[in-house]
Amino acid sequence: MSELFARAIVAGYGAADEILKGVDFAVGKGEIVCIIGPNGAGKSTLLKTISGLLRPKSGTVSLDGKDITGRLPREIARAGLAYVPQEHNIFPSMTVRENLEMGGYIDPGAVPRRIVRAMERFPVLGTKQRHAARTLSGGERQILAMAMALMVEPSVLMLDEPSAGLSPLAAEKLFDAIVEINREGLSIGIVEQNASEALAISSKAYILVDGRNSRTGDAAELAANPEIRRIFLGG
Amino acid sequence: MEVAQLVLNGVMAGTVLAVPAIGLTAIFAVLRFTNFALASHMTIGAFAGFVANTTFGLPIVPSLATAFLVSGFFGWMSDEFVLRRLRASGFVTTAIGSIALTIALENFVRFGFGNQMRGYDLPLRRDWVIQGLRVSPQQVENLAIAVVVVALLFAFLALTRTGKAMRAVADNPMLASIKGINSDTVARLVSFIAMGLAGLGGMLTGLDTTIDPLVGFRTILSVFAAAVVGGLGSIPGAVVGALVVGIGEELSLLFLTPAYRTAVGFLAILLVLTLRPRGILGQRAY
Ligand SMILES: Nc1ncnc2c1ncn2[C@@H]1O[C@H](COP(=O)(O)OP(=O)(O)O)[C@@H](O)[C@H]1O
Ligand SMILES: [Mg+2]
Repeated sequence: MSELFARAIVAGYGAADEILKGVDFAVGKGEIVCIIGPNGAGKSTLLKTISGLLRPKSGTVSLDGKDITGRLPREIARAGLAYVPQEHNIFPSMTVRENLEMGGYIDPGAVPRRIVRAMERFPVLGTKQRHAARTLSGGERQILAMAMALMVEPSVLMLDEPSAGLSPLAAEKLFDAIVEINREGLSIGIVEQNASEALAISSKAYILVDGRNSRTGDAAELAANPEIRRIFLGG
Repeated sequence: MEVAQLVLNGVMAGTVLAVPAIGLTAIFAVLRFTNFALASHMTIGAFAGFVANTTFGLPIVPSLATAFLVSGFFGWMSDEFVLRRLRASGFVTTAIGSIALTIALENFVRFGFGNQMRGYDLPLRRDWVIQGLRVSPQQVENLAIAVVVVALLFAFLALTRTGKAMRAVADNPMLASIKGINSDTVARLVSFIAMGLAGLGGMLTGLDTTIDPLVGFRTILSVFAAAVVGGLGSIPGAVVGALVVGIGEELSLLFLTPAYRTAVGFLAILLVLTLRPRGILGQRAY
């Protein structure tokens, strides 16, 4: 009984409309599921399709049993899916606090309470709440982007390379935060370059290559597979 | 002394100019095109306020509110039925479409009111002379009204959920949609508010002198120059740009006859685009 289901997704951009050539993906209740794969495999394209930024040519996406295929991003957000894009995931000229407020735009009543919570969880956001988001460091931006997604109570959180550009220490802290958020009951889908870290915190993993599902399975098993270790884990 | 008088006039004119310049820059920030139809909306506002003031006998402030509401309504409708459809074809098409639209709307006003100059129903008041500097009470009132309107707009953008959503769309439309903000609603709202400001600015301009259907056309170059000088898309920039252009136009009278005053707008645009293409304050929406 999965929360999020994407079946046989074919999607792309304009003339290149088959970047994804029939991809399946699912995140079950309370799970962390990771997507790994080489650059250009279509991982971000899959997340854009799930969140409504791209309309799939064929295939279906459902959230909590409800069909959300081809719906607008704002409708999908209201249906309970929070998505943190790989790039451009903050409002640069707005303050950190205003970014959090916009994160909770669809649930304004809960915003004050959740801002307090976000600043407890990520103290740097409290310290810098009056700073323009554009002045934050790369790591602080990723934290802000994730905190913005948590300003609503989503049923599924989709993260696109949250650790990109972070120092190893900052990345480790971020993964800790992801595990903690997951323990609170949130289902999480995560795209990562940092494959070993991602596999370590996930229960299930999808390997995407050239717009197709290459391998799918238990994260620990995939992490132990020699072929996969050689290609993705550099060992 | 003459220079001081010109600077004072320039500050007065620049503050009034800031009102429509904010409209132009706000539309650019959110909808990503320069809406030259702002010219005809200034005219529509000026005439709506004229009807409120002379036909219905309303005082100036309610007449200004009428100017805002009527031109704002036209702005919303013209976006809904004309410009929104063009936006998909890109910046140039939309900007050219807005020029065609402004000619049509200006002629619509001409059809109703003719070409003659008209004046608002204002009490005759003597100019004030302070330390050798001359100002008319009307100019001071216009300045005060413009300052209040700009302050209200800033408060709206800084403090309200809707105002922040407008800034969010200007900042990152893709992310705004992911966060559940309806960009169509924001587009309607920015069209209404920006063209409302244009109409208000048109009437404020006319209060000082007279109005005719060309009131917007005569001012649009200065408005555009103000927005470009401040950095197209930046609201504080539009205020700064309007003051620069307003003062520049007045000071040009030291060297030029009034007929060439608009050359200042051209010159300002040229200079800024050559030396500092993103304007004085850059492209920050707010
Ligand atoms: N906006 C776009 N327009 C056209 N092609 C794109 C766009 N974004 C990505 N692509 C192409 O789609 C393919 C998959 O990209 P992406 O989903 O970003 O890969 P990944 O996230 O796995 O690195 C790449 O070949 C990329 O060049
Ligand atoms: Mg990617």
